Amino acid sequence: MIARLGGAFGRNVVLAVTVVFFGLPVVWLLLAPTKTSATLAAEPLAFGSVAQVGSAWEHLLGYQDGVIGDWIVNSAVYSAASVVLVLLTAVPAGYALAVGRFRGRETLLVLTLITMIVPSAALILPLYLEMAAVGLTNTALSVILPLGFYPFGVYLVFLFTANTLPLSIVEAARVDGCSEWGILLRIFLPPARPVVVVVAFFAFVNSWNSYFLPFIMLVDVDAATLQTGLQVLAGSTGAVSGVNFTGIPIREPELALAAVVSIAPILLIFLFAQRYLAAGHTVGAEKG
Amino acid sequence: MMSVREDPRVAVGRPAATPSPSPAPRRRRTGPGWTFVGPYGALLVLFGLAPAVYGLYQAIIVTPVVGAPHYDVTGNFSAVLGDHRLWPAVRNVGLYLLVWLPVMLVVVFAVALVIDARRTRFGAFTRFVSYVPGSIAGAAAALLWLFMFSPAVSPVGALLAPAAADNGTFLSDGRMPVVLAVMGIAAGGGGWIVMLHGALTGISTEVLEAARLDGASAWQTVRRIKLPMIRDYVAFILVVSLANGFQVFVEPQVMGAAATGQISRTWSVNQLVFTYATAEANYGRAAALSVLLLVPCVVAATVVIRFTRFYRVDR
Repeated sequence: MIARLGGAFGRNVVLAVTVVFFGLPVVWLLLAPTKTSATLAAEPLAFGSVAQVGSAWEHLLGYQDGVIGDWIVNSAVYSAASVVLVLLTAVPAGYALAVGRFRGRETLLVLTLITMIVPSAALILPLYLEMAAVGLTNTALSVILPLGFYPFGVYLVFLFTANTLPLSIVEAARVDGCSEWGILLRIFLPPARPVVVVVAFFAFVNSWNSYFLPFIMLVDVDAATLQTGLQVLAGSTGAVSGVNFTGIPIREPELALAAVVSIAPILLIFLFAQRYLAAGHTVGAEKG
Repeated sequence: MMSVREDPRVAVGRPAATPSPSPAPRRRRTGPGWTFVGPYGALLVLFGLAPAVYGLYQAIIVTPVVGAPHYDVTGNFSAVLGDHRLWPAVRNVGLYLLVWLPVMLVVVFAVALVIDARRTRFGAFTRFVSYVPGSIAGAAAALLWLFMFSPAVSPVGALLAPAAADNGTFLSDGRMPVVLAVMGIAAGGGGWIVMLHGALTGISTEVLEAARLDGASAWQTVRRIKLPMIRDYVAFILVVSLANGFQVFVEPQVMGAAATGQISRTWSVNQLVFTYATAEANYGRAAALSVLLLVPCVVAATVVIRFTRFYRVDR
């Protein structure tokens, strides 16, 4: 059997099974909002109608006075703010860790690696206690600031710098009287734009998808993100249990549509910028 | 320092630093320093280190049902370890890891090797498709897989129906390890496949050509050349996945909230932490269990950094 796998037929069978396993759920999710709850059950993989998507969207907007609009805005604001914070802190740090020689450099590098591999979920409860102690829970800052700490971004910039920027160039610029920040801005940054984009992508995906952090920090339903809002939506309507006694017209297609909205920006990045993201996977994995 | 070998995938042949031939004065320039790393360092301390320290501090404050909170080094830890909900949660997470990790390793290695065996459009397409579910994370992923495992709406509902309970539900505490394993492979497998494929394409074509000329079959090439070259990814994937798996929270939490009554609210260890902190407002116990959970993750991280070649800290 193993020998057969080398043959074209065996290969294609493995590939086809893989495509179905990874592709089917995504296709199902994209098709679900085009159908009603009843047709969804009858024909899971058929295309319904565009009109049905519109009516599902109407139902979503009708949920708690359109709170989903707040969730979208919140997700966008929290993510954008944390990405800016990541870029402002991670780019100079990764660069300096690769180029500079200063006290504490190695400690900082090792701590960066450890905090990068330890899953963020491990620290969230203590982080919540810390935020509660300074009275920041239930504010945007309680989500933005922790997401702005992004060691993987620092590591990517560090690797890029160590691999591509010859120290002799840095030295030459210094001799010519360029300041340290001047070297970063004029010598390092222009050719480093691709890695900055990659860091921004990853930081955005990380922020937009974060669930546990906003879930525990943000109490008010209109401060929630799309990710945490989804659970509210699913839990409060009983849409998935099959028994929806609430009378709220939120059923499977509406939930699927909300899920599609919540993954849309990430899905687009994965579809159209996969080459960039894949580059990150070749330098080591990030925590989930 | 760290014994981290140069990673062939990221290193671009830089010769070892040789002493400068010019007899310049040997005052070392320090270059960019703490003004560059300061802001990041502050975030690291505030959100990377301080929570761990503060968690440890909270863990030694016992809040009794009656009376004032007081310091007690072991009180919360022994209360947590004696909680009847802890061991079922540990067993749940352990079973999940036992199902998930071996299957995922086999799947990602097999698929990466098959894609690499011959560069075809179909192979590239498969790699692309396998990566896409990685974009569906958190609550959206939990909802999606809740649907996938609901006999009524799932595209494979007919396969699930015979195993469903009388009320038509498939999910249960006992089935969660398998459900989470399938989710874990679907969400994370593509990233690993991309990584392994990247490593495989890094194998020099001369080596593969030489093997072919010597008459090696495709299978022999896999076994004698490709597998040994990517073998240490096994440990890497295992350790990183273990660290994440210990912390599983979102999936059972969202599935439990959406499909009321089917899944225990303290199914995973982190859910028990959350229950301590919210429903029971017992920060001491929540912090104690968090600290206990943090230990294996820090150990795993240190193992990866020290004993594999995947991360390097030397220039």
